[in-house]
Parts: sequence; C-alpha cells; structure tokens
Amino acid sequence: MVSEDSTRKPLPAPDADTAAFWRGLQHGKLLLQHCRQCHHVQYYQQATCRECGSDELEHRPATGRGKVHSFSVVHRAPGPAFKADVPYAVLLVELAEGPRMISTLIGSDPKDVTFDMDVELAFDQVSDHITLPRFRKA
Amino acid sequence: MSDTSLRGKVAVIGIGLSAVGKVPGRSPLSLAAEAARNALADAGLQQSEVDGVLSSHAFASPFHRFSVAFSEYFGIRPTFSNTLQVSGATAATMFSVGAAAIHGGLAKVVLVVAADSLMTGLTPDLALRSLTESRDQQYEMPFGVPVANTFAMTAYRHMKEFGTTPEQLAEVAVVHRRHAARTPGAQQTTPITTADVLNSPMVTTPYRKLDCSLISDGGAAFVLTSAEHAQALGIEKPVYILGCGECYTHEHIFLMPSLTTTGAVESSQRAYAMAGYRPTDMNVAGIYDCFTGTVIMMLEDLGFCRKGEGGPFVADGQMSYGGRIPSNTHGGLLSFAHSGMPGSLFHFHEVIAQLRGQCGERQVEGAHLGLVHSLGAGFATNATTILGTRGAL
Repeated sequence: MVSEDSTRKPLPAPDADTAAFWRGLQHGKLLLQHCRQCHHVQYYQQATCRECGSDELEHRPATGRGKVHSFSVVHRAPGPAFKADVPYAVLLVELAEGPRMISTLIGSDPKDVTFDMDVELAFDQVSDHITLPRFRKA
Repeated sequence: MSDTSLRGKVAVIGIGLSAVGKVPGRSPLSLAAEAARNALADAGLQQSEVDGVLSSHAFASPFHRFSVAFSEYFGIRPTFSNTLQVSGATAATMFSVGAAAIHGGLAKVVLVVAADSLMTGLTPDLALRSLTESRDQQYEMPFGVPVANTFAMTAYRHMKEFGTTPEQLAEVAVVHRRHAARTPGAQQTTPITTADVLNSPMVTTPYRKLDCSLISDGGAAFVLTSAEHAQALGIEKPVYILGCGECYTHEHIFLMPSLTTTGAVESSQRAYAMAGYRPTDMNVAGIYDCFTGTVIMMLEDLGFCRKGEGGPFVADGQMSYGGRIPSNTHGGLLSFAHSGMPGSLFHFHEVIAQLRGQCGERQVEGAHLGLVHSLGAGFATNATTILGTRGAL
C-alpha cells in the first residue's frame, strides 16, 4: 500500500540551525560555516564548530566549485517519488573549501560522471520556499 | 587483563531460529517468540528463568519498545530490558550489552531476541522507504539517496583507489550462494556464476541486483548467562564471549572520514585486544554482507588481508573452505536471509553452531575461535564480537 504522500518528494523543513542556510540558497548562495577560532569549515549547519567547540561561526558563501569524490547512479528509485527520475547520479562532492556534501547531477548524462570530475553549483528552486543545491559538470 | 574486562565472563548457552525466508502471515513478535522458544529449549531452560531481554527494532511491528512488547507476548516479566538501535550493528551490541549486564549483576539470564518480516509484512516499496527515511531529512532525503547508495559510493571509491573489479564483487555473491546451498532453510540456494551477477539488473552503480542482500522474514534468539552459571547448569558446549568492540565514526555519509577505511578497524582491534587473539587466530567468521563490496572492505578492516587486497583475497578463494578465513558459511545476508536488524543474528547463529561443531557438511573442522562483525547505516556503525570454545579461554 502506497499512500498519496509517498509520491511527493521529501522537502527539507528548516530549523533554527539551518534557517539561514536554506534562506541563502533561495538567494543563490551556499553558506558554509567558518570557525573564527580554528578556521575549520563545515557544511552541516550547527551552533558550534565540530573541531574545537567554538560558537564563533561565520557564514561565508562557497565558491561553488568542487570535485566528485564518489558517486552512484541510482537505477532503482528509493520509493515512488523518485521513480520518474531514474537513472540519476547521486554525487558526493568535495567542495573547494574542504567539506563534502551529498547532491545530484543535473544538466548532463549520469553515465558521464567520473571520479574527480570538476563540478559547479547550480540552484534548483523546487518550491516557493526551498532551493536545492545541485551540481553540473564544470 | 583488568578486572572489568568481559573476556570469558559470559557464555552463550542457547541458540534458536524462527522459520526464515518467506514466512507470510507471521508478525515479528510471533517469529521472535518461536526463535526464543527454540533457544530456551536448546539451553534446557524454562522461560521463567529469563530475567533480561534485549531486542532490536522491527520495521514491520508498531512497537517502539520491541523488547517490552516481546516480554508481554512471551509471558515473562524481566527486570532488565532494552531495545537497542545502532542499525545493522545492533546485533553485536546486544551481545556486548547483554554480557556487560550479566557481568555487572543487572541480570542473570539474558535473552537476546529479534525478528522482523520485511518480505511479507511490508511491501517492497515500504521496506525501501523505511530505510530511506532513516536518512537525514534536510541533507540527504531531498536528493533521493537510498541507503544502498551510500554503501555503493564506498564500494565505487574502493574500486577507484585499489582497482577492485566488478568480477571480484560478483565472486562474493557466488561464494555466498555456494555456502547457502548447503544450509537447510536458506532463502536462495540456486547456484549462480559471476556472469549471472554481472548480467543482473543495475540497482545503484556499481551494485547490481545480485550484489545486494535479500529481503526476508525471520528471527533469531540467544540465551546468555555467566560462565559460572553455565557451568552450574552443566551446559555441554558453552560458547564464550571473549572480546567486544564498537566504533561510531559519523552519521552522514558526507562526514565519513574515509570512504574506504571504516570504524571496523577500531571496533575489531578493541575486540582482538580484549580477547587476546589476532585475526590469524580466527577459524571462522560472520561478516555483515549487506552488499558484496561491504564484505571485501570488511575482510581488510577486520585484519584478514591488507587494505586494498580484499578483491584478490576473495577471488583467490580465501573467504571459503580451505581459505584463510571461511566466512558466512550459512550464506549470509546475500543468500541465507536478511530480515533487517535481526539479519546479523544469523551470522551469530552460524558462528556459534560452528564453534559447537554442529554444522554437518558445512562444518569448519576444529573451529574454536570465531569473529562476528555487524555494521550499519553506510558504515556509520560498527561492532565486533569474538567468540570461543572452552578451549579458547
């Protein structure tokens, strides 16, 4: 039994840790957290630096450049919502600033993805409130 | 060895399975109770002698407190109980937590029991969704990332870094199927070739259908008690918990420190150190095999071969009979059965049966030391247990 909801793609629900991040994406910026104490850069948004525990974090927009650290092309969708999209390439992108993130490839054939391929950020507005960070071949 | 070490303090004195494979119409509680009855009969104990219960969550069951619901269903009133959740690694942690509870005086006889009905209790889509929805709601789910995908990315990276081939991945599936063919009750026993694996439909690159574990119904149960109590009960072949280790390196795949070297290195090193044995001392192993590439990486991280050599190790027959470490001799999650979190308990059942010399034509001659490694959530969770006979104490 598959409910009607399961055919809709899940959308993020921003919280206190992530509100600025998702707002940034709506304005064409991928905001990374830079630690003023130890200079660690993190993608996963939280109140403190995971390296040193400092709460002196500063948002700076990423350059949007990165490399494919690994990937996997999905042929069997994880549920009905993604069935129409297969095959699609899930990317583990290593950003130029250091952190890695999960996203998907747009704009070219998933068969052409290779390790260490240069990619650049693309902004995909999927609802009135949510813009997802995706990547295209650089 | 410190006084607090669990080494040899607790023994497994009973093992039992429920019906396994495709078992329609049976709830996880019903399967768990069947396995528990079998384990208690194997130990020669009454259910009233159980004062501790440890379980894992079941996707096809509405009960968040599975261990509590189980106790009600089974008609017992334990004074120690919990439902543990570290994904696929939960199996091994039930043994370490159970052993610690017994050693610390919280319980005398602990029943480790888990069951699920992923095959017939859930539709395939809902079974997959139940796994997808455990991914991060903001950073992973919007992109359609199945849990298989995270394991696939680690295997792909392993292929890129070390030259591991699709044929070597396929060989893992072939070996498991060959092992399952000799296991009564195994879900998939039809022989397969590497060509069959390489021609099966793509799921998420580099994994094809036959690189992926099964979806099954079934459960397993174990009876644990102190070494002293096992002796007082006159248990003929107690199997002792000699070493335990865990390691949790990340939650999100994008925060995994290395895609090709996992927390299994540390979890196993801790277990070996507690047991006082090395990888080369092990006679038999149960290695979590949710996907073929997972086994190759674990053979390396558990110390059975060097980093990057897992592919050739498997292709050379080293994970089967006559090789360096006969592993998953029951057929594993790939061919015996995979009913979710209880899946790794089947590895425990097999390794313990091997150490008791009860595996018939599957028996690894003279096995007295065995290792079981459980893991989950794209290598986020790792737990290793080392087991041994009286002679290995």
